[in-house]
Amino acid sequence: MNLKDLAKAAKEFWNEYKNYKSGIIGLILLIVLVAVSIGAPLITSVEEYNNWYNPTYWKENPKNVPPMWINFLSRKKMPVHESFFIDANGFEYQDLGNTRVYTTTIVYNFKYDEEPTDISVRVIGKLAQENNVSIKITVNRPDGYKLFLYSAYSSLPEAYENYSSKTIAFATSSKIGRNIINWASQFESEENLRTAYQKPTYGSWVIRVLFSEAKTGILVGEAPPLKGEYKFGISISFFDKKSTLYGVKLTIAGKVFGWMGTDSYGRDLFVGIVWGCRLALIIGVLTSVISTFVGVFYGVLSAYKGGLIDELMQRIYEIVASIPIFPILLILSWKFGATVWNLALLMSLFWWTGPVKTVRSMALQIREETYVEAAKAIGAGTWRIITKYIISQIIPYAFAIMALNVPGAILTEAGISFLLGGRGTQEPTWGKILHDAAVSGATLKGLWWWVISPGVMITLTGLTFVLIGSALDKILNPMLKR
Amino acid sequence: MTQLLEAQINERVQADVLAYVKRLQASGTAPNEDELKKYAEERRLLYEKQYGLDKPIWIRIFYRVKDVMTFNLGKATTEQISYAGSRDVKTIILGYLPNTVFLFTTGTLITIVIGLFLGLQVAKRVGSFMDRFISILAMVSNSLPMWWTGLLLIFLFSFYFRIFPAGGMHTLPPPQDKLLYVIDFLWHLTLPLLTIVLVSFGGWAYIIRNLVIGTLQQDFVMAARAKGLPERKVLYGHVLKAVSPSIVTMSILSIVNSLWGAMITEGIFNWPGIGRLYWIALETNDMAIVIGLTYVFTLIWLIALIVIDLLYGLLDPRVRVGIS
Repeated sequence: MNLKDLAKAAKEFWNEYKNYKSGIIGLILLIVLVAVSIGAPLITSVEEYNNWYNPTYWKENPKNVPPMWINFLSRKKMPVHESFFIDANGFEYQDLGNTRVYTTTIVYNFKYDEEPTDISVRVIGKLAQENNVSIKITVNRPDGYKLFLYSAYSSLPEAYENYSSKTIAFATSSKIGRNIINWASQFESEENLRTAYQKPTYGSWVIRVLFSEAKTGILVGEAPPLKGEYKFGISISFFDKKSTLYGVKLTIAGKVFGWMGTDSYGRDLFVGIVWGCRLALIIGVLTSVISTFVGVFYGVLSAYKGGLIDELMQRIYEIVASIPIFPILLILSWKFGATVWNLALLMSLFWWTGPVKTVRSMALQIREETYVEAAKAIGAGTWRIITKYIISQIIPYAFAIMALNVPGAILTEAGISFLLGGRGTQEPTWGKILHDAAVSGATLKGLWWWVISPGVMITLTGLTFVLIGSALDKILNPMLKR
Repeated sequence: MTQLLEAQINERVQADVLAYVKRLQASGTAPNEDELKKYAEERRLLYEKQYGLDKPIWIRIFYRVKDVMTFNLGKATTEQISYAGSRDVKTIILGYLPNTVFLFTTGTLITIVIGLFLGLQVAKRVGSFMDRFISILAMVSNSLPMWWTGLLLIFLFSFYFRIFPAGGMHTLPPPQDKLLYVIDFLWHLTLPLLTIVLVSFGGWAYIIRNLVIGTLQQDFVMAARAKGLPERKVLYGHVLKAVSPSIVTMSILSIVNSLWGAMITEGIFNWPGIGRLYWIALETNDMAIVIGLTYVFTLIWLIALIVIDLLYGLLDPRVRVGIS
């Protein structure tokens, strides 16, 4: 078959395929899925994927919060997670001899109906000496009040890439809490003050005070939120010549996050879903391609050889086909600690039985065709006859089987990952995200975004291949042709 | 397996040595270090012989297979798995089986009935809205994880509406009154049952639709119609009879399959059935249970295949006559 024939055949096939609406939908979905899995490093970042199991990487994200598009659905607008990074060039710099002072203002536009869960300021730099930096934080509220929040000498204890850093989280700092409460007390009634003084001087209720209108009830959560621009003034002083500032990160931990919300570690589920797409396709496609090819070849060989070999191969087939696959895969992937690649190979080990029966019956028919006989007569070998004359006839049908096998493989992997969690596949597959969700009781806590998106993706990916497969089946399966 | 047995033997030897020391102390003699070691070694050899560990592995495998074949399935290794205080594998399997039957076999039966009904209805009106809906539903449910659907239903009905319990078979403690007990059981049964039916009835309806449509194009249907038989009679009398062998096959296979339960779905609903038993056995490395379950259910499966072959002869006259 030369190239021209191939192009013609492809065109004919396309003309027929075009008529199946479901097939077209499946194809579009497939293109999207492939694009997402190839573009995963661009859509999210490799860094996020590599740090999936590193809880400190996700520390600044709010935990268990829904996706941000719920703001379009509800009247009450929730604060979106935002972070601002100002590098050293964005600071005003003053050199006072032994003291060098960096100051900057970060403007946060607050336009929501609830306060953020937390605000944190992370100072990143390099210190020549311990306790040699002073950090000052103030805030200018939209109503003109200026609050002094924080001032302390400090070191930079946490590592941050090549630098070290210090994080000041407002909700957990009672220093900041006390400053805010003291300021707010002037607006408060006697009675409310008494209740407020019984609360701890930290916690998210303090953040609420910061974002409330300055009037009675501010300390007990009765004052409405004050919308507008909050200007955070940050000033950093070094008391030696060698220390350097890399930058400052201001994080407003919102009550909604990204496109798919976060889990209990604060991980961005969008990252998991996008990268899971790649893993699901690897598992599904690899398993079905390998197992279909093995199965087709096995069936053809069995039919062509016939006699005793056929009997023997059929018995082996029956034994493998009656093995309960799922528990065995479970044990194997558990004991050997599977990656998605290993798991795909393991699954192919048991899955090739699928097409054998059908292919064998097809091959039995083809074997009797005169052109096979002619090939035999001119002395073609077994291998040549099987590959050139028989399998080439079955190949189109094999593609349909292949597509229809993919959902099963993806479902099996998801099931294994769901049951085994960290002991199953090592990569964060969709099944594993669901495992994490189930372990932390997401359904009973109402964290729907954590449960729905992976499952929808599993179903959608499966559906894609079912749509394509059934269209191919209708076109290529000689038994369904009328 | 060997490791497990060795661990068991170790335990027993240690217990024996302790008893030996106590006996010696009671009689007033101080235990001798060398003597103790010798005693321990003696006991170990005795037990190894008892357990058959002194024989080569292929003989052990042979005996093990013989035991399993003759339903001498042994005892569960850990206390964690037991039924009514018994650790006998047969008792455990028989104890857990009814729970799975109540859930999965009932679910399968309901699915078959709904699928049959819908499939026939849809086959009458090919291309209608309902027909297309069933086709799409079948495709979606083909790639829908049952356990995920279960999670969603738990979220919807247990968390959001708070109508049904999230899992288990009974409220704790279960009600004493017989009637209330049954109602309580049914109340717990509803959600998992709904999950099973929801996930599988679309596929069933679609398969039956295809079977019926295929048969409707046969000549004998045209003949029946030409005779002037009412459409009802054609469908239920002639077509249904012609497709019944396939339907019976599928039904038997899925009922037998339902005895397995489902590991994950049972886990999610905390349903003490065969699937969960299997999973716990895998987790606790309880090989006696795993081997027993696998053997028994493979056997049931093979028996079902034979029964189907026999039934085919009964249902399809062509098979009975033979092609000769």
